[in-house]
Amino acid sequence: MEDFSIKNRELQGIDILYLDGFLDAHTSVELEKALDNLISNDKYKIVVNFENLTYISSAGLGVFMAFIETARNNSGDIKLCSMSEKIYNIFDMLGFPILFEIYKEENSAIEKFS
Amino acid sequence: MKNSADCVYMEKINKIRVSSSTKNLAKLRNFIEKNAIDSGIDDSTINQIIMSVDEACTNIIKHAHKFNENETIDVETKSDKGQFKIILMYKGKGFDPNDLSSPDMKEYFNNFKVGGLGVPIMKKFMNKIEYVRLNSDKNFLTLIKYL
Repeated sequence: MEDFSIKNRELQGIDILYLDGFLDAHTSVELEKALDNLISNDKYKIVVNFENLTYISSAGLGVFMAFIETARNNSGDIKLCSMSEKIYNIFDMLGFPILFEIYKEENSAIEKFS
Repeated sequence: MKNSADCVYMEKINKIRVSSSTKNLAKLRNFIEKNAIDSGIDDSTINQIIMSVDEACTNIIKHAHKFNENETIDVETKSDKGQFKIILMYKGKGFDPNDLSSPDMKEYFNNFKVGGLGVPIMKKFMNKIEYVRLNSDKNFLTLIKYL
């Protein structure tokens, strides 16, 4: 089993990243590359699906902080969805819902871009 | 001395040594999880302890050892007297998390800051954090959770 992997799907100009495994200081580099790749190619409308993510540390949280401003400055956003209660509690405890839109369903996140 | 002998018998101690690399964070989390389960700790508390240890070790790897994999971190867990303790022993530049005040999160998000959340997470999830530096190069960081 891989520690962490990302799958990417594009739907009507929106890029959806599917995270699988655990996101810590070691694996967060992969997520950073994936988001950097999208932003570098002027793709600013991003949905991140957490359905298969089992763990996140502050290193993982930091990756989203690093790209959200650029995405929003270019009429885009990084919207988060499908978190388990365990993962959501980490985001919530630190106040991330102040800055990030977090949806229960992927469809809801996608619809918000239209 | 019956009481002290009983205490020694009751105390569960487990140790692991890993090289100072983020590659070993998963191994450390598994070690903590196994020992916390063996100590009868509930899932929610285990998750808090695991994340706190991850954050502490990540800081050691980054700041004390600057990703030098030749350095090591010794991790020891102790479960006794209603407390689960994790003791991290490492060489290099020390740091007492108690010296760092938690950021104002409203300001943090307004300014799109990155990083600096490891210590606030440790402080939020653990009941007590103790830091001791010995012999000018040996650091002991103890994370304590009351059960």
